[in-house]
Amino acid sequence: MSATLAGHSRTRSLHVPFSLRRRRPRDFDRPRFLRVFFWAFLVFTFAPLVVVALFSFNSTRSLQQFAGFSLQWYEAFFGNANLRASLLASAEIGLVTMIVGTFLGTTLAFGLVRARSRVARAGNVLMLIPLVTPEIVAGVSALLLFTQIKMELSLATIMIAEITFSISFVTVIVRARLASLHHEVEDAAMDLGATRLETLRLVVLPRLWPAIVASAMLVFALSFDDFVIAFFTTGESPTPLPVQIYSSIRFGVQPTINAIGTFMLVVSFLIVALAIALPRIFGHREEESVLIGREAA
Amino acid sequence: MSENRFAHLMLAPAGVWLLLLFAVPLGIVLAVSLGTTDPVYQAVYGWHPGNFADVFDPRFAPILLRSLLYAVATVVLCLVIGYPIAYYIARFGGRWKTLLVAVVVLPFLVNYLIRTYAWVAILSDEGLVNGLLEDLGLSETGIRFLNTPWAVIGGLVYGYLAFMILPLYAALDRMDPALIEAGKDLYGNRWQTFRHVTWPAAFQGVAAGCVLVFLPALGDFISAQLLGGPDTYMIGNLIQQEFLEAQNWPFGAALTIVMMGFLLIWMLAYLRSAARADREGAL
Repeated sequence: MSATLAGHSRTRSLHVPFSLRRRRPRDFDRPRFLRVFFWAFLVFTFAPLVVVALFSFNSTRSLQQFAGFSLQWYEAFFGNANLRASLLASAEIGLVTMIVGTFLGTTLAFGLVRARSRVARAGNVLMLIPLVTPEIVAGVSALLLFTQIKMELSLATIMIAEITFSISFVTVIVRARLASLHHEVEDAAMDLGATRLETLRLVVLPRLWPAIVASAMLVFALSFDDFVIAFFTTGESPTPLPVQIYSSIRFGVQPTINAIGTFMLVVSFLIVALAIALPRIFGHREEESVLIGREAA
Repeated sequence: MSENRFAHLMLAPAGVWLLLLFAVPLGIVLAVSLGTTDPVYQAVYGWHPGNFADVFDPRFAPILLRSLLYAVATVVLCLVIGYPIAYYIARFGGRWKTLLVAVVVLPFLVNYLIRTYAWVAILSDEGLVNGLLEDLGLSETGIRFLNTPWAVIGGLVYGYLAFMILPLYAALDRMDPALIEAGKDLYGNRWQTFRHVTWPAAFQGVAAGCVLVFLPALGDFISAQLLGGPDTYMIGNLIQQEFLEAQNWPFGAALTIVMMGFLLIWMLAYLRSAARADREGAL
């Protein structure tokens, strides 16, 4: 900066109030209330969860006073055969939905990206509709279907309904990744004598793993946690954990629910952490691959 | 095998699954909505458009109206709360942007049922807040928070706010902040800059957020069930009751179809924009 300019700005700055002079240029219109609002928002959204987690360790039934540390509500949760059966049922639903839903969603993504016909375009619309259908409609229509074909409500009916609504999530995620891959690499593989299936297995799938793993985690989290669809399609027993929680909440606040809630909260966070971490681990191996496609942004 | 044929083969399993287990059941809902019940409350097919007249009967019309009101209030509140949050992160998050978004979204990853229950635990008559109020001597009898419309709308906002924040953030993050400076340089005041620069850039996100919040909010029954009461029941509570308690399935199906009718225009708008984004992405 030239001496004249510096001198000029110095004389100007004498007239500028101190508070203004300290501001850095990128903060030129950063109102303080925005920051306050942001932190207040975080407190408000986290507070209820912290309260539930805290009182799940309370030694008394009270929700008003924390009397002392105790694991009795967790013992009540895991010691109850009914609740254990519910937890197991939810895990089964999550796993089966994850496996079948991820398979169907991935093949659909592949078909939609590569198929050219009116059927494929109709399939694209059909795939998007579940994403904008409220869950209660999904539950009602699944319930009506099962009663019309006289299929007894059980874990199997919940799984079928959950799979139906997981397919689209997988397809959207996998398709984004698939669309970013170089098609030429597949042509090259076929020119070198690979069959369609071999190309898929050896060339396309390795590039898709991160997206497939991420969407599988998402599907597990969604179906393990889901209440509305399960509520409409569940049989008598065992009922999935969220349905069990719902029926106990209706009878009022109970400390055991704090323990179950905290447990499910931890499971959700763990799965999300896996969904973020696993594709990165797979992604590392990818960099060694010679067949580098265009990366998804 | 040609590539196109192979792709269609891949399309088949999920396509057939969705057709049989998603599209056909929606058709069944429509068929049942025109049916009636036999003496043992089994749904029987028929032609009874009267079910739809019942939906708009004075007994149920207020619930319909209330649902729309609550859902719209939820969308507006989500926008009012979500916009500053998304704006703050997009403009001033700096290198912490991704982390801040993750932190903001984190509570919304927890089961909706558990999150709603958490508010019950805090706001109920024996809950934390009323306990504190009594301890501080501010209120002898406590304050009734639950069973009010505000509790239900608050529950909906806490349930679906993330669906507003994420598309808003995506839109605002794409905007070049230099545009705002340019707006100021051209002597635009705060409001003018917002009106002519920020808002048009954010509009896509606002539209997507509003649809994504409105759809689940209108169909919700958990918030009204747990935080409200019979005076605050929404159309979702009614549908749930008809199917799982009252056993008048044709009426429940008619309610479902009417609700879908309210949502249809929004669903179509969203599908169109999704399809457009698809095409642009493919180019």
